[in-house]
Amino acid sequence: MNIIIQRAAIVLLALVIIAGIAPAQGGKKFETPVLVTSAGQSADVTLVSMLFKRANLAAKPAPQAKAGDLDNVKTLVVVPGFSSKGLGAAGISREDELKRIKQLLEAAAAKKIPVLMMHIGGKPRRGQQSDDFCKMAAEAANHLIVVKQGDEDGFFSTIAKDAKKPIDVVDKIADAAKPLAALFQ
Amino acid sequence: MKTMQRHHWTAIGFLFGALILAGIAARDFLRMRTPDLIIPSDGLSRTGLLSEYAPDLAGTNGDTPYYLYDSRNPGPTMLVLGGTHPNEPAGFIATVVMVENLRVAQGRVFVIPQACLSGFSATEPLEGYPERFSVPTSSGERIFRFGSRGANPLDHWPDPLVYLHRPSGQQLSGNETRNLNRSYPGRSDGSIMERVANGIMRLLETERVTLAFDLHEAAPEIPIINAIVVHEKARDLGGMAVLNLEFEGLQYALEISPQNFRGLSHREWGDGHAVLPILMETSNPIQGRLRGPTDVVLILRGVDIRYQTALEVGRMRISYDAEGESLAKRVGRHLAGISAVVSAYNEMYPDSPLMLEGLPAYTELLSQGVGAFLKPPPPVQP
Repeated sequence: MNIIIQRAAIVLLALVIIAGIAPAQGGKKFETPVLVTSAGQSADVTLVSMLFKRANLAAKPAPQAKAGDLDNVKTLVVVPGFSSKGLGAAGISREDELKRIKQLLEAAAAKKIPVLMMHIGGKPRRGQQSDDFCKMAAEAANHLIVVKQGDEDGFFSTIAKDAKKPIDVVDKIADAAKPLAALFQ
Repeated sequence: MKTMQRHHWTAIGFLFGALILAGIAARDFLRMRTPDLIIPSDGLSRTGLLSEYAPDLAGTNGDTPYYLYDSRNPGPTMLVLGGTHPNEPAGFIATVVMVENLRVAQGRVFVIPQACLSGFSATEPLEGYPERFSVPTSSGERIFRFGSRGANPLDHWPDPLVYLHRPSGQQLSGNETRNLNRSYPGRSDGSIMERVANGIMRLLETERVTLAFDLHEAAPEIPIINAIVVHEKARDLGGMAVLNLEFEGLQYALEISPQNFRGLSHREWGDGHAVLPILMETSNPIQGRLRGPTDVVLILRGVDIRYQTALEVGRMRISYDAEGESLAKRVGRHLAGISAVVSAYNEMYPDSPLMLEGLPAYTELLSQGVGAFLKPPPPVQP
């Protein structure tokens, strides 16, 4: 009888430990309201905002969000990808943009606001100009959603694996809606 | 004396040879002025010239034809420009396919296949471009001109050292004076391209155009290809179109028009009028710096082994299909893009939709080729 109680206690303990570890490994809870910002000023931020709208999740697009915009925000979504036209439209340099994102991510960490990174632009939003933004956003994120074409070289998967972060790799932009909805359930 | 006579005969021989070569060159030179044949569909309401909107263009090589498809049912008005850059044939041919197949059930559509008509009468120096290319149809070949990026230098010479955009004062390289897509909003008394730009702006205003497209191509190594560039007020429209296109398996990047880069259609059309401007780019190897033989096959098939090699060694940062970027595929992308934007527009404004009919689908163009959607040439008179 004692042995059975001992084994049951061990199983119970194991279950408690697993349940405790799971969220720490990436089961971070995401809640609305959401602030969606760009890292690199590509217009992908518009498409991600549309995915939120279609999922009936309250999300405010703010391509040039600053630390002050994080008040009352419960999730920060960062959409990395360099666009020369986008930076031109915003009237800022690539260096200014890198600085803004660094400060925004630091502010989110200080306020304990979870960060979701969504890379949906595929190959055109990778490469020399984009990867600094991609790396910065992926390393700061609690969860990554990536359209497969942008991860053909394993860039995001490797960051996720090394840092034990959860990652959803989807075939198409529209397919990102499913993991997105699941994260905010 | 005999030596002198021999020299005379030699000189006469050279002179005669030079005249023959000059004659051949002159014939080719003048052939570039022969208008391209465009055979409108039964849905055409009327055709006219841009000088109806900008009288200063009358009698110049900038006075380009427009084609109007009017359903006579109330709805929005759309304008589609091809041939802004005559060395980007997919935009030109996409509008020719439109003119030859389109029917409009609700609203109106203006099509201008050769926005920079002057540029169709000359090729770009030092690029080795062919002067024309042919597309096989069900009976016979349709021949189209392949022109230059800008206006013919004979219509605007010499280029200034620096091109000063008006009214912004923006400075660009002098040859951009002949670039229609740096000339908006234009002026009635300016250069030939400024006058064409002014004519298009007047058309947008007079006809109260709500949706306007400018079809382009770019080299495969340029980041902005397979892209839809929109004025910021068309951001949501462009976004919805990109998602719609993805459902069809077509990937597009969405780009927002920079506010501080002046003279472009997607900037000045939107700033100047209530229109929603859209510019689309496909990937065209014949414009690339990596390309090899620059011939008609490259225009039609879009296969270049150098781009395949670049793809294999991982030097292509953007998508390049190893099967090539055929004219059919590029025209198909433009037409699919237009359809997707129109669908998105109708979703956003369901009370006043634009209903288009007769345009071939992307998959039809891929499987049947462009020629299947062009009318056969009329038989040659004996």
